[in-house]
Amino acid sequence: MRWEIVHRATEYVAEEAGIALRNSAFSPNIRERMDHSVAVVDAEGRIIAQAEHIPVHLGSFHIGVANLLGRLAGEGVDLEDGDAVLTNDPYISGTHLNDVMVLYPVYWRGRLVAYIASKAHYVDAGGPLPASLNPRAKTIYEEGVVVPPVKILRRGQINREALGFILENFKTPAVARGDLEAQLAASRVGAARVRDLFEKFGDVSEQWREAVEYGRRLALAEVGKWPAGRYEAEDRLDWAGELLPIRLSLEISEGGITADFEGTARQVEAPLNAVLGVTFSAVSFAVRSAIGGHLPTNHGFYSVVKVKAPEGTLVNPVKPAAVGAGNLETSQRVADVTFLALSKALPGRIPAAGSGTMMNVMMGGVWRGRYWSYYETIGGGSGGRPNGPGVSGVHVNMTNTLNTPIEIAEREYPVRFTAYTIREGSGGRGRHPGGDGIVRAFKVLAPTTLSIIASRLEIGPWGLEGGEPGRPGRVTVRRRGGVKTIGSETVELAEGDEVVIETPGGGGYGRP
Amino acid sequence: MSLVGVDVGGTFTDFVIVGGDGEIKTLKILTTPREPERAVVEGLSSVKFSEVLHASTIGTNALLGQVGLELPKVAFFTTRGFRDVIEIGRQNRPRLYDLYFQKPRQIVPRELRFEVDERTLPDGTVERAVDLREVEELARRAKSAGVVSVAVGFLHSYANPSNEEAAAGVLRRHFEYVTASYEAAWEAREYERFSTAVVNAALMPLVGRYLAKLDDYVKARGGRIYAMASSGGLITIDEAARRPVQLVESGPAAGVVAAAELARMLGERRVISFDMGGTTAKAGTVVDFEPAITTEYEVGGESHRGRTVKGSGYPVRFPFVDLAEVSAGGGTIIWRDAGGALRVGPLSAGAEPGPVSYGRGGSEPTITDANLILGRIPSAIAGGRMRLDVEAAERALAKLGDPVDVAASAIKLVDLEMARAIRLVTVERGLDPAQFALMAFGGAGPQHAAEVAEEMGVNRVLIPPMPGVFTSLGMLMADFKFEARMAYPRDPAAGFEELERRLARHSPDYFLRYADVRYAGQGWELTVPVGADASRDAIRKAFEERHAATYGFKLDRDVEIVTIRVFAVVKRAKPRLRDPPKSGSPEPSEKEVYFDGWTEASVYVREELPLGFEVRGPALIIEDYSTTVVPPRWRATVGKLGVLELRL
Repeated sequence: MRWEIVHRATEYVAEEAGIALRNSAFSPNIRERMDHSVAVVDAEGRIIAQAEHIPVHLGSFHIGVANLLGRLAGEGVDLEDGDAVLTNDPYISGTHLNDVMVLYPVYWRGRLVAYIASKAHYVDAGGPLPASLNPRAKTIYEEGVVVPPVKILRRGQINREALGFILENFKTPAVARGDLEAQLAASRVGAARVRDLFEKFGDVSEQWREAVEYGRRLALAEVGKWPAGRYEAEDRLDWAGELLPIRLSLEISEGGITADFEGTARQVEAPLNAVLGVTFSAVSFAVRSAIGGHLPTNHGFYSVVKVKAPEGTLVNPVKPAAVGAGNLETSQRVADVTFLALSKALPGRIPAAGSGTMMNVMMGGVWRGRYWSYYETIGGGSGGRPNGPGVSGVHVNMTNTLNTPIEIAEREYPVRFTAYTIREGSGGRGRHPGGDGIVRAFKVLAPTTLSIIASRLEIGPWGLEGGEPGRPGRVTVRRRGGVKTIGSETVELAEGDEVVIETPGGGGYGRP
Repeated sequence: MSLVGVDVGGTFTDFVIVGGDGEIKTLKILTTPREPERAVVEGLSSVKFSEVLHASTIGTNALLGQVGLELPKVAFFTTRGFRDVIEIGRQNRPRLYDLYFQKPRQIVPRELRFEVDERTLPDGTVERAVDLREVEELARRAKSAGVVSVAVGFLHSYANPSNEEAAAGVLRRHFEYVTASYEAAWEAREYERFSTAVVNAALMPLVGRYLAKLDDYVKARGGRIYAMASSGGLITIDEAARRPVQLVESGPAAGVVAAAELARMLGERRVISFDMGGTTAKAGTVVDFEPAITTEYEVGGESHRGRTVKGSGYPVRFPFVDLAEVSAGGGTIIWRDAGGALRVGPLSAGAEPGPVSYGRGGSEPTITDANLILGRIPSAIAGGRMRLDVEAAERALAKLGDPVDVAASAIKLVDLEMARAIRLVTVERGLDPAQFALMAFGGAGPQHAAEVAEEMGVNRVLIPPMPGVFTSLGMLMADFKFEARMAYPRDPAAGFEELERRLARHSPDYFLRYADVRYAGQGWELTVPVGADASRDAIRKAFEERHAATYGFKLDRDVEIVTIRVFAVVKRAKPRLRDPPKSGSPEPSEKEVYFDGWTEASVYVREELPLGFEVRGPALIIEDYSTTVVPPRWRATVGKLGVLELRL
């Protein structure tokens, strides 16, 4: 059988398992925002096909699966038919605590032939704050509960002790239980479909190898046309008044791309640290976008990208550094700095920087006798492009999640929106101006705890080729007795207080 | 009585004429895209008719920027502070890895969005009444800016439309075309409701004038004309002119309607319709003779693996026949990419220049060329009037490798693509494809049906009579369907009765009731059919069953009925299909055909096959505009109404 056919069929296996996960999960993050992904992995741990819907999951399996298999091998743990291993340890899985990873071996005629790997964003993974995102966290232990690799299934039977431990610590146990069942269901669907492939076509390892070769060939066909050399770039991540440098030396050669982060800030006592999986994802995202066109998400493409990140830095922290926002904000800046380096190699092809923040808004409290919590992200402007202006009011880089309709949010939470408009004039000026950010404003109708996790509040997204930077974001609280600008922090709001959030515009392209 | 179905496509306008004697004729005329009524009138002038049923892509084409169908200047009036809801949309980008992505072009530029002081709360309380003097003043400003059509959308108007209604009243004194969002789509979620209103406002002048011209012509000839809606039902010209938003995508819906009606005649309760033509393949599900509908649709949007890509088009909240679309058809191009992989589509040679073997200038090999060199279609088609150039097809395929190997692999790839996409959209909706029969039509559908079915785990295939023009027949089989809906009904039973009272003027034969329901706090709804017992408890029970079937679990939580919807159905007399002859002994010819190797296949002429006749694969059954491929291990039986049933 031709490898192209096996390759397409395998892509659909990942896709179908992904649907099984989404359909039976309960977290809105998974069902509505598609914050999950599933991969088919061969017996050697190479990604053969992956269904992912938001870029931050791109590449995190490449690191996560290798880490987990290495760890199991080191401990001498064998995976038998019907076993499943679960972990949310970001230092293994490669994202953050909310992303629970499950690895499920696929046996065919008594032989291990593949794995199904899945990852899903649980609404809560324990810890002191709703949603396990804590702007004040100094270590991972103030964010949530770390579950090291455990066999959650043993020969098809659920491991009650492990399950009990997880459900006792994740603050929304019923939801977590549903999400876990969904992941296990997706694993079974994926495994059954992989076995169908083997039944139908015989051992397809050879076709899979060709599919991986193809991914590599296709990526290199483009990268090989880029001018070889070393391209330096630096961007900064703003946090609590500090500007943390992220430095990149990007080497392009015929054989691939190496991103070296020597010179980047040391890890910080804040949730901003990005584990290596996140850094790899963000670099891969930028490279893949620059390649453009169709490219299969498999080991072949991943093998073209190498990341060197010194240990103990913001982009490869050492436990117990907190990592919750590394996934959200640092990932955005790593993508930005990679684009900046690429713009030097490929002048005229890379846009200026987009808003570069997910502008995470977490709210909660007690209202009408009930605990409520609400999380949203807000888009901004995309950067001006060589052939035209940036786009206004849109998510860029590592996220693409939908907004919550105002009419739905107002029905369910004690908030009343006062504005949702394009923030005119926030895009950087240029021959092709940056897209404008968003103004989103609301009053709270009950005492509320508000947390913001954001960046680009101090320096705006950069322009290119003489284009001006976009305006930085701003969060303002209007209350009786005054107006106050806040940063990434947690504040208490009184009934009637108004919060006005302005997101950054994109940088401009070319002299105005 | 003579019925004419007209399907105005981008390239051709297709006519199906059914005379009083049940005889079916077809006609094809080139469309003039900037003046779509021309081909319609030209075609009608040559036939007799009492009723004309009409489907068109005029709305979609205008939104996609068809030259000559320029949209008018549209203004949008909304709640102060929320001017850009229609621009921000859901804040996502339609393509993840495309640095040059664009949002769809804004129908209403920012300077024509007017904010008005007013506010309604989620429970329907009017916190601030609309300032009508302000509306009046802004209306004058819009008028002097050359605005022709206006839409008005206020927050929470689904809960209480009084502010919106009052504003629309003022606007009607200034403009001929006014759309209030609660009338266009009475449901929650501001972006989708506002977008529906804006699209409707943009289409009203254009579609209104077009329909009026056709109506005048048909009336002058003593006939009547009705329009096909995207829900798969027919509506009156007045209703279509008032809410033209329901006309977009009405053409493809007709195929599923045809499948549903044929399923009803055959008593088939679970059918997947599979319509494969020159450029795309479309699949829909029919359960208990009703096409599945969806309210999530984006006009002019893109689709990926059969599903609409969010943010790629203009959302329209109206019931649409639920279709999964794949870029795969007879004209789909076979190629190799920079990585050396054999690829099929998404580019298509379409009807012009078409496949290489058509000899009309096509140079890239297509799926039709692959089928031809493998012997799966005869080298003379369209009743022998058109000869295909086998050698040219083979030469074109040889550029990609061994022509037979390339052709066979390309067909496997395209079958896989279609099968998996259809499988995904059925599995996604909680349906098990193994329980369905695949009903295949369109020019290319019957060639691929058996292998597509096998790939998706289906072991029965039905081929309707005249599969090449079956979609156009669908319109003649449709019933009238008028829609009304309501958001967050306090008492659903009373709500349904209220909606049915509103629709009573159409004198329906029966009503279809649906409810969009979710668990409190969920961000999405499931649509469930509702019966005579429309109590909250009965709806809850139906919802929980559907939820369990779709997602695999139930929850101990309150349910919320978000929207209820009623269709008033008025039945129409259907054209009758004839049974095949009772006897006959068809003589097959023999032909070399490729199925994992060359093999001798029997070739039958479909109209010669008598009722109950059985054909064993490998075989081909040929007719004027289509060929049915019966692979080895499959058997085909001629059933009533001439339907071919293929079984594995």
